[in-house]
Amino acid sequence: MRKISLMVAGVAGAAVFGQLGAAAPERWWSPGEGRVFPASLDYPNDHGTLRVLVDGGPVETKGHPFFEPLGANGRACVTCHQPADAMSISAATAAERWNKTGGKDPLFAAIDGANCPSLPQDRRESHSLLIERGLFRIQLPWPVRQWNGRPVTPDFTIEVMRDPNGCNSGPNYGPAAGNISVYRRARPVANMKYLLAVGFPFDPKQGFALPRDPDDGSMMSGNIMADNRAGNLRIQMEDAAHGHLQFAKGLNAKQIAQIRDFEMRVYTAQQVSKQAGALDSMDAEGGPMKLKNSQPGALGSIGIPVWSEFAKWEKISPEDAKTLTPEQLAFRQSVARGARVFREKMFLITDTAGINSRIGFGNPVRNSCVFCHNMSQMGNDVAPGQVDLGTTTMPFADPWRDLPLFRITCLKAPHPHYGRVIYTMDPGFAMTTGRCADVGKITLQSMRGLAARAPYFSNGLAKDLRGIVDYYDRRYNIGYTEQEKQDLTNMMSAL
Amino acid sequence: MFRFFLSAAALVAPLSAAAAETVRFIACPIYRDADSGKKSGCWLADDPATGTRYDVSLSPHKPDWNYAVMVEGIVSAAPPAPCGGIVLDAVRTSRLYDTPCTRHMLPAEGYPGRRFVLPKRNITPSSVARPVPPGPYGERVFPVYFEFGNDFLVYQYSDYLIEQASNWIIAAKPKKLIVTGFAATQPTVISGRSMAEPAELATQRAETIAETLRRLMPGMPIETAADTSGSATQDKDADGLPDQSRRRVEIKALF
Repeated sequence: MRKISLMVAGVAGAAVFGQLGAAAPERWWSPGEGRVFPASLDYPNDHGTLRVLVDGGPVETKGHPFFEPLGANGRACVTCHQPADAMSISAATAAERWNKTGGKDPLFAAIDGANCPSLPQDRRESHSLLIERGLFRIQLPWPVRQWNGRPVTPDFTIEVMRDPNGCNSGPNYGPAAGNISVYRRARPVANMKYLLAVGFPFDPKQGFALPRDPDDGSMMSGNIMADNRAGNLRIQMEDAAHGHLQFAKGLNAKQIAQIRDFEMRVYTAQQVSKQAGALDSMDAEGGPMKLKNSQPGALGSIGIPVWSEFAKWEKISPEDAKTLTPEQLAFRQSVARGARVFREKMFLITDTAGINSRIGFGNPVRNSCVFCHNMSQMGNDVAPGQVDLGTTTMPFADPWRDLPLFRITCLKAPHPHYGRVIYTMDPGFAMTTGRCADVGKITLQSMRGLAARAPYFSNGLAKDLRGIVDYYDRRYNIGYTEQEKQDLTNMMSAL
Repeated sequence: MFRFFLSAAALVAPLSAAAAETVRFIACPIYRDADSGKKSGCWLADDPATGTRYDVSLSPHKPDWNYAVMVEGIVSAAPPAPCGGIVLDAVRTSRLYDTPCTRHMLPAEGYPGRRFVLPKRNITPSSVARPVPPGPYGERVFPVYFEFGNDFLVYQYSDYLIEQASNWIIAAKPKKLIVTGFAATQPTVISGRSMAEPAELATQRAETIAETLRRLMPGMPIETAADTSGSATQDKDADGLPDQSRRRVEIKALF
């Protein structure tokens, strides 16, 4: 049995479907096409093969509100949450779609698939942020409003310093018009039980017990959206239907239940590595089946260590090693080392709101990647993960001139790390709370299926997996060796 | 230099411990980059009045090297070996965000720091069933403590105390809760500075804790109050630090 699985591992890095004689599925899922979503779907990517698993079997998409166009612009949820892209959408896919349709696909709807609706919509450059960096325009109310529409009085002012796309100034857009546009990646709609899981009853970063779900009274994880503006799936769906789909009528209870049912059943993870072979072979536990079968919300430091899925590859027996090519063996060992580096390489985390303030871990605090990426099997944060890594905020972020730049002035206490005046391309969580101390905080991203959905970070700051490592290395002056960087990159390609 | 600190500490620590000496001062913190794994860096602070270097690493809330800290602690007989300063235990370091400091980091210089151990006051995962606190149930007060000048919940300290309280309250089913915030508004001179908390902090603390209790116990009637008298408590969870105990919230369960 073991030999058979090894043989499968050996061939699986190539085009799986071709080798098995079946046609590769059409990558792009168009709204309303009526395909049955099978229980398991495999999609090749640059690093191997992603598997999308639906717990409970196939889903009939005809008439299903996740897959049907609901609003005025012809989009469905699936438009921006493509199975081949780990239920997100990569910049490469957006570019392919532009090339294939000449920009006619609903993906490029002016509402958020353009840099600004006021730009000429038939031009590629009007959609450059989506095509080149996978970014959608997110229009948020200003002054800040809570999810229930209740106004919040911000403790900061906001001024537009740079408006390259015209969506933060003029009569229709920007603070003077009662809104602010930021640009963000679509978060994956998969492995949702982990994103909704609550490990402890408190949010130590905010200093409160977790808020309650207005629908069922359970505690909310705070890990669904980049700025935590929607605490439960119903609110997120309504926000998306209204904003991204331009569905004026709004979702009904049955549609919400159907979408939730699908989202809670779908799991994604890399299943096969081009270099290593099957990620669940030789007692490794990669792939989405592990996610389907595991309990969510467990803290790795007191339970199953994060990315211990690859622990068995740390010591591959000579007998097993003989069944692998030298390249496969080396890559597997690298993935296993990367997991250990992720957990054990300590560095000084400094000047990072959500870690070094206001919570009392100290500034600096010595820890590893797993300090924040702490949930077993997933690497998201057991506590709500609103942290400011600096990816959107000066001086740490790349100063991209095609994104807006805002000047935030704190009206009460200065920000503990940036001071009274902050320059940012996306205030992040502060646009939900209205607090200066939350400027630049973004909810930690899910780490599964990374291979399928470049670029990375909320604003696509890292164009590839190595770019993630390089950003952390310079942000925190970690001093990774070249080998450690490669091991971390390889490990992330296997998630 | 390293040897000097060791021997000085060795001389001072036992004498101080015998008298259970309490210290209180303001200083810019020093981070020692000791490495025994996660959270093993050391926090040191020099009392400006004496020049004595203290190890304040055992505080539940740690310093920020960009700002001064108010140190409150009890001199311990523990050896200075982990970090290179007289160990304060119990100890609190309150971050003074209105007082910038030049950040300063020392290398390990042979000091190992401390391997992280879970503090005695920590909460278990939500998936673990909590035992029902035994009765009899009657009027009772639960205190929660804060940094100086802050209404923020202290991780692995305040949250633990609140959860202890809420577990008891859920079992006891009182008629209502009165949450009273206290602030240390009486000026006290510390390291030459007159230190007092603003009166409104008492209200803020009460509101902060009340909001958390509302989330933990939806439907429980909760009233808030403020007290700026600066009274101290002898509660064991104040760890023998009376000045810290002036900065608290009391959760009173009424039947």
